[in-house]
Amino acid sequence: MFARVCGIAGSTDDADGRAVRTMCAVLRHRGPDDEGIHTDPRGGVTIGARRLSIVDLAGGHQPLCNEDGSVWVAFNGEIYNHRKLREDLRRSGHRFSTGTDTEVLVHLYEEYGDALVHALEGMFAFAIWDQERQRLLLARDRFGEKPLFLHEHDGELAFASELTALAEARPALRELDAAAIDAFFVFAYVPGPGTIARRVRQLPPGHLLSWQRGTGRCKARRWWSPAQRGLERHESLEALTVQAKELFGESVRTRMVADVPVGVFLSGGVDSTLVAVTAARETSQRLQTFTVGYDIGSVSETMQARTVAERLDCDHHEVTLTQADVEQRAPAVLAALDQPLADPAVLPLHALSEFARPRVTVALGGEGSDELFGGYPRYRWLERSMRVTSGMPTSANRLLGLLMRQSERVPHGRRFAMRLGSSPLLERNLDWVTSGRRHRRGDLYGPRLAGVREEGLLADLAAKAGELNGSTSRWLMHLDQVHYLPDDVLMKTDRASMLCSLEIRTAFLHGGLAELAGSIDTSLHLAGGGKRLVHEMLRPDIVATHRGGRYRKTAFRVPAAEWLRGPLAPVLGRQLDRGVLFQEGYFDGRAVSALATEHASARHDHSDQLWPLLALGLWADRFCGLDDL
Amino acid sequence: MTCNSPGPSRRPRLLILTPDFPPAPGGIQQVVHRLAAGMDAFRTLVVALDDRDAAAFDDSSGLAVRRVRAGGRRGRPIAPRAARMAALNAAGAGEALRFRPQLTLSAHVVTSPAATLSRRLLGARTCQYFYAEEIGARGRLAAFAAREADLSIAISAYTAELIAGTGATPRRLQLIPPGVDIPVDATPRRADRPTILTIARLEERYKGHDVMLQALPLVLAKVPDAHWLVIGEGSLRPGLEELARAHGVSHAVSFLGAVSDGQRDEWLRRADLVAMPSRLPGGHLAGEGFGIAYLEAGAFGKPALGGSVGGAREAIVDGETGLLVDPSDPVEVAEATTRLLLDHELASKLGRAGAARARDLAWPAIALRVQAALLELLDSP
Repeated sequence: MFARVCGIAGSTDDADGRAVRTMCAVLRHRGPDDEGIHTDPRGGVTIGARRLSIVDLAGGHQPLCNEDGSVWVAFNGEIYNHRKLREDLRRSGHRFSTGTDTEVLVHLYEEYGDALVHALEGMFAFAIWDQERQRLLLARDRFGEKPLFLHEHDGELAFASELTALAEARPALRELDAAAIDAFFVFAYVPGPGTIARRVRQLPPGHLLSWQRGTGRCKARRWWSPAQRGLERHESLEALTVQAKELFGESVRTRMVADVPVGVFLSGGVDSTLVAVTAARETSQRLQTFTVGYDIGSVSETMQARTVAERLDCDHHEVTLTQADVEQRAPAVLAALDQPLADPAVLPLHALSEFARPRVTVALGGEGSDELFGGYPRYRWLERSMRVTSGMPTSANRLLGLLMRQSERVPHGRRFAMRLGSSPLLERNLDWVTSGRRHRRGDLYGPRLAGVREEGLLADLAAKAGELNGSTSRWLMHLDQVHYLPDDVLMKTDRASMLCSLEIRTAFLHGGLAELAGSIDTSLHLAGGGKRLVHEMLRPDIVATHRGGRYRKTAFRVPAAEWLRGPLAPVLGRQLDRGVLFQEGYFDGRAVSALATEHASARHDHSDQLWPLLALGLWADRFCGLDDL
Repeated sequence: MTCNSPGPSRRPRLLILTPDFPPAPGGIQQVVHRLAAGMDAFRTLVVALDDRDAAAFDDSSGLAVRRVRAGGRRGRPIAPRAARMAALNAAGAGEALRFRPQLTLSAHVVTSPAATLSRRLLGARTCQYFYAEEIGARGRLAAFAAREADLSIAISAYTAELIAGTGATPRRLQLIPPGVDIPVDATPRRADRPTILTIARLEERYKGHDVMLQALPLVLAKVPDAHWLVIGEGSLRPGLEELARAHGVSHAVSFLGAVSDGQRDEWLRRADLVAMPSRLPGGHLAGEGFGIAYLEAGAFGKPALGGSVGGAREAIVDGETGLLVDPSDPVEVAEATTRLLLDHELASKLGRAGAARARDLAWPAIALRVQAALLELLDSP
């Protein structure tokens, strides 16, 4: 039985619990049914939790403690292997008073101390208060599925599942960080461990942080990291597929354990199809599947999802996100996120979560597969391009650079030059994934962002990427796993679903499966168009569902360009007129207005620049208390 | 050779066909060598694949070995495995015609075609040796080998189950576990740190190195100075080193690579336990047929930790010579490892029982059991 707690908060400087209560009130949408606070009798430290109650309301109340009340925990997430851990702990003499996974954490901490995280399979962010040692321990899961924001000040520490909760308790934290706004414009998300607020940071994925009363010192350390080094392995595809299938089956099986209905978000692509096929096998009931389509553009994939659902005899639901709906939903959702996010897929995901919530409480998703199993064609292309350019003499490289610069004059030449030109790999990759937005800063930035230097952003990115050691594609996959995956994909998944009190569980983000994927030569991952192992896992089931026995790459794609010309054009217009971004000189309203006019004419597609500005503007207005625009 | 053995010319001729033979490292290589060396009642010829340093090894072994070159210079295998096996079978058949064996022992299913040929062309009796992995990997060939051989020897009941799983019914089947060398000096030595030892080639994931790495942080939580020593080389090594880094335990792991027998024995004297939580790989793959490393632990008076699946259940007597755990559960692996590191009384008790069991399964005795089975086969109508 899972506790299903959805938001936590705490402070080492909150003797009366008022600040934590304020934070918990902001987290109400993550856990609308129950709230709990524990304050250390010796003063100062308070931890709290908001909970969405499905079952076991009395037993699942948090924070929760051990037998003698010396260890307290506030927990957000799911521990999928908690039943097995409970057995192991019982054998070691631990006694349990509830059926929740939260209680496992308390006893695991007693048994293993900080190393408890290594025993956990799941998505989590938790705080453990060790009353005897007067020590607070914070932890975040391997991939960053569950968020945890921190604010340190004068030897004290405050934390919360959402940035806005921290800012509510301490209004001084509502100070925007110009460098983070710059990073947001470039990436379309705020890369951790920084946040959009200058004095708030995130606990990075796979990290622990401890705070000790007395010294007031915070000590962070990494406890898990994804594979970084290129490997050359020659293992039979069959053997690898067998092992991957076994781990994936275990992942889906454990993620389907719930006392509430579980469904699958099915885009019809290879990842969600594999999830649906595996889930359908694991349940004795008719599996509920959900997909989303649009009334505009040409990217609806409902047909593909419907074919799969029919084949698996699922109870299939299709949601159409209409233009009228987008007009209402976009301002509300983009502003309600605790950090800005310019991934337009957050809207369909929110619509899907909202639709699914009355029918299921938990949905399985295919997030993380592209990053772990090499799903992006970019990996292959950049590796090939590196192979070519690294073998060329310097003069030839210089000539290529010249040609690429000239190619910017022909249609699509700029994009081609950015991707395959002679600039450093890190920058080429950056320009590929961000459509080269960084090169538009000079045109669009206002005086408030004039002092931001690009070097800082590139240095941070290089530090996250680590050393290029062997395989280019492995390096790029690692970068995506520590950058794009936690700060865009998983943030979107967590926030869009939590706004609707629905829980999305990611079947591919299983520790063992990730380690297997990380230990395989990337040439195998990239063979046959990418995600070879995922295709192999699906092979026995795919033939009957699809002609040709192969899936084209697909996900929940979004007609963002059309929306910006249609239902969201007036919203963007209001932003340009009155939005804080333009009023306070972060961006040049005139330049952005010209861009919007060009986009509206349909002769150009500037959605890659306009969407981040819209998302940031809507969010910033609310964060700064101007959300009545 | 014993004093009352018949002279060389009067002893029946035994042809042993094998792809695996020392100096190449590995458990199967060791088994075949000890068998060949222990067949005093036969005039034995071994046909094996060539290997680096094979000539020097063969000269010093006192065995008649015919090496089959199926690769590049200095025995480095460059030909595809299928081509090497075809060459081995062709050479095996050729040697059979020259050597005229009364009995052919095929030490791996890949040599069963040549053994079958010797039976059909020359009327030699044939014996097929089965481990486990090869049955899963080459199910049809294993079924053929089991059907064609006059005698099948399985190293464990688990192996026998795998043979039955191929659908073949052996004409005659005997269970004879692999043996272990009893060291001259098994005196325990103190290591600087509590030491966990794993001895296995780093080629098969099912050996459980990855689970050991997942378990190690939990072990270190209770035994902070514990040290995991990994003996063995192979293509998994870079991935395991990467995994050690991912789990933040690089400081507590030493990958020693391939070491000499003397060095291995020295580490066995120093280790607190031998851990190899082998699991069933799933699908058509079979996993551990027995696990000689567990017996080696016993031979040095050390407790063994293994997965409670496959042949390990026969190599380790749970709670007597070691501990069997769920090999896919890092927490259970960590608990058992920690227990054996901290509970010295238990570790000594298991080690003593392991030593007694190792003596029962010592090589001369096991080789004699195989020899007796082969002689009985020769005498049977």
